[in-house]
Amino acid sequence: MSNTVLTVARDEWRYWQRSRLAQSVVILAFLLAIASVWVTHTSVSHSIDQRQHQQAESEAVFEAQPDRHPHRMVHYGHYLFRSPPPLGSLDPGIDAFTGNAIFLEGHRQNGATFADRKQASGLTWLAKLTPAFVMQVLTPLLMIVIGFGVMTREREAGTLEFLKVQGVSPFVMLAGKGIALAGAGMLILLPLFLGVCLTLLDGAAVVPALAFLASYVIYMAVWIGIVLLVSTLASSNSSSFGSLVVVWIALCLIVPRIASNTAGVLVHSPGKLETDFAVLKQLREMGDGHNANDPAFKALKDNLLAKYKVDSVEALPINFRGIVAQQSEADLTKVLNDFAEQQMTQQADQAAIARQFGWLSPMIAIQNASMKLAGTDLENYHRFLREAENVRFDFVQSLNKLHAEGMTLEQDANKYKSQAAKKAATVSADNWQILNDFHFTPLPPTQRFANSLLAMTQLVISLAVVFGVIFYAGRRV
Amino acid sequence: MNFLDVRRETVFLLRKKSIALLLLAGFLLASFSVWTGSVDVAQQHQTIERLLVGDSVDREEVTHKHHDYGYIAYYTFHLTYAPPSPLAFAALGVRDIYPWKHRVRMLALEGQIHESDTPNPELALAGKIDFTFVIAVFSPLLLILLLHDLRASERAAGRHDFLVVTARTRNSLWPLRTAILMVALWLALIVPFLLGCAVNGVGIVDVFMISAIVLVYLLFWSVICYLVARLAFPAPVLASLLLGGWLLTTFIIPAVGDVVIEEAYHGPEGGNILMTQREAVNDAWDLPHQVTMDAFLETHPQWQGKTQTTSLFEWKWYFAFQQVGDEKALPLAIAYQQTAEDRYRAAGYIALLSPATLLKRALTHWAHTDAPAAWHYEQQVRAFHAELRQFYYPFLFNGTPYSEASLADRPVFTPYKNTER
Repeated sequence: MSNTVLTVARDEWRYWQRSRLAQSVVILAFLLAIASVWVTHTSVSHSIDQRQHQQAESEAVFEAQPDRHPHRMVHYGHYLFRSPPPLGSLDPGIDAFTGNAIFLEGHRQNGATFADRKQASGLTWLAKLTPAFVMQVLTPLLMIVIGFGVMTREREAGTLEFLKVQGVSPFVMLAGKGIALAGAGMLILLPLFLGVCLTLLDGAAVVPALAFLASYVIYMAVWIGIVLLVSTLASSNSSSFGSLVVVWIALCLIVPRIASNTAGVLVHSPGKLETDFAVLKQLREMGDGHNANDPAFKALKDNLLAKYKVDSVEALPINFRGIVAQQSEADLTKVLNDFAEQQMTQQADQAAIARQFGWLSPMIAIQNASMKLAGTDLENYHRFLREAENVRFDFVQSLNKLHAEGMTLEQDANKYKSQAAKKAATVSADNWQILNDFHFTPLPPTQRFANSLLAMTQLVISLAVVFGVIFYAGRRV
Repeated sequence: MNFLDVRRETVFLLRKKSIALLLLAGFLLASFSVWTGSVDVAQQHQTIERLLVGDSVDREEVTHKHHDYGYIAYYTFHLTYAPPSPLAFAALGVRDIYPWKHRVRMLALEGQIHESDTPNPELALAGKIDFTFVIAVFSPLLLILLLHDLRASERAAGRHDFLVVTARTRNSLWPLRTAILMVALWLALIVPFLLGCAVNGVGIVDVFMISAIVLVYLLFWSVICYLVARLAFPAPVLASLLLGGWLLTTFIIPAVGDVVIEEAYHGPEGGNILMTQREAVNDAWDLPHQVTMDAFLETHPQWQGKTQTTSLFEWKWYFAFQQVGDEKALPLAIAYQQTAEDRYRAAGYIALLSPATLLKRALTHWAHTDAPAAWHYEQQVRAFHAELRQFYYPFLFNGTPYSEASLADRPVFTPYKNTER
């Protein structure tokens, strides 16, 4: 029996060897896969180097600043750069759509700036030549072109009946044809396999990398199943081909975009500009941290006076302006974080809606599984934003602490009076060593794996459904 | 060929279930794209309305809180925006990548203008269905499915030779059938578009132009399908050939072209603009005021003799170094922009090999939603920011006492009205 299966598979391969169409399709798919792995790996490695270099430079420049008033360093600010994770060289995910640098300064949460897309040729409006795109969208179409006739060809040629009479059960036929298609699929997946090996050398974690590969194998199996199924049900080559192309258009081109449109229409996410109004309004009510005389800080002042048992801010042992700066930064950050979390929640809600469409289209499922395992999805981007905010708050507050403890209120208030007074209101440049080496790492491997489970489940269920229907249809061949 | 031929063939073709289904799919998808596109554009308009209200409330409060030109200039934000054109519903374009709204103030502009208020990146990755996508990407597929087996199916049904010998003229069979299917598809796609145009108030010239462009585009693909369908291969082979051509021109050529262009044109990193501007602005705090003022006077000689400062902090000096910081970063900003423009122009040549991309460039151009439209908006913001500076400098450098009434003459951003060309 197993011999018969292999014979059927071998026969199918022999047929492809004689068919110029099948040959050119397999070669084309293979070349595309290799080209995409090479191009993306090169460009992502380049940007990893570049961003790490920029990060080191940014820290060096900050620490090399001369003696200054600490509040000046609050506004001098600091840059963080986000390097793509190793698996990002196979699936860059949303990397090209998000800014990859973020400027950190006092009193503001800047968005990430300079998304690559803004300087792009505009040619990538449909796709970028990445392994993810080639594997998710193009290979299913190529599998259709080589496989649409696996069953219908036998039917049209009349050999199907002949084989049945000879005692070859439809399941043996289907298994053989499936193995034949799987062979072609594995060949096209080979460059991806090599790419995963490369990322392991680059330091990718083993579990997500293997799951990444496995998700593509399952995805390929789903498509092999779809091709087998339609070819089994169709009465002729033409109708098999036509139906498969319609299925591909729907699953790979239409449903993902319907998902995106639907999510955008169902959950409205106002931009940062709009939430800024609310922030500004709250800011005015809380008082401006640059102005220690703002009535909003009266309570703070009274508390401090009581604590140190003195009757004027001038008599305090610390610089009241620095205290105000600390307090208002903390209050403001709370407000900023509330709004930032709100926006991230809205985006996550939108993404959650779009991801539910993965039950309909395995392409959406593989896209999500792949991004999540690679660490290039929305959650990891939000993680970057949150980490950046922590870095921002820490460095601003340590500078504000210097502001409060490194000079007297009198020195601070008179800093614009003369050059000597200005010099008195500075702290030593030794204090600028407050930055830790920042290196963005995506969520830990187990977490990424856990996050991909929904998408993985969608893939596995698609596979089960497709093969379940084949089993049902096979009995009626 | 006469009217009877046309009617007979039309009825015959439209009665085929597969053809009717494909036309229905085209109609539904075009309707969906027009509907969601219109919702998207309406949301953009509502956002602008809300921003305008918020902006004026905010400015009012700032104006009442401060009584000094320096503080007013420092704290007052001004809303700039590019409203979507009536046609934007059909071609959403790059408005989800390039910013179309900012709030700027009189600080160094390079630190503000590159901020983008981007929406959800994960939705941007999936892309959106707009009418442009339906036409550029989807309609050739429908045509391929409709037309590839024009002859092969009749051959398979054994009617081919019979049809050929009984046809009244040469044109009354295959060309007529091709034309009928193409026009039927055009109608299925264009009717939702026309409804969208009516709802969004698109000018009649645009409606005609776009409808004509779409027809020409369908005609182009129909001719290709017609020619390929003449080859005596089985239907799946013909369809594979056509699909291969579609795949190559729609996806592969643009994707490869993008890699080539990225390699061919290198410009400054965006981050360098911000870095340069930041260094220039921050260094100024430690430099003698005179150094900044000398640099400032080179581009603003009219303030010669009015740049002395008496305190270590004066607003005119503060804004002068903001200006100087911008000027230092300007060559980089120009080079950055130049790279973007070079790449976009080079992409125009590649688009000649990719009809879908060519069509998308044409439609987004008409809808003012392409990259050049975004650059135009950026230029407007730069011009407006320059006006703001022109407005405040006399007060700051002449030391004019503050009067709230004088703010009535403050420049107001006027958006580019995209209602007509």
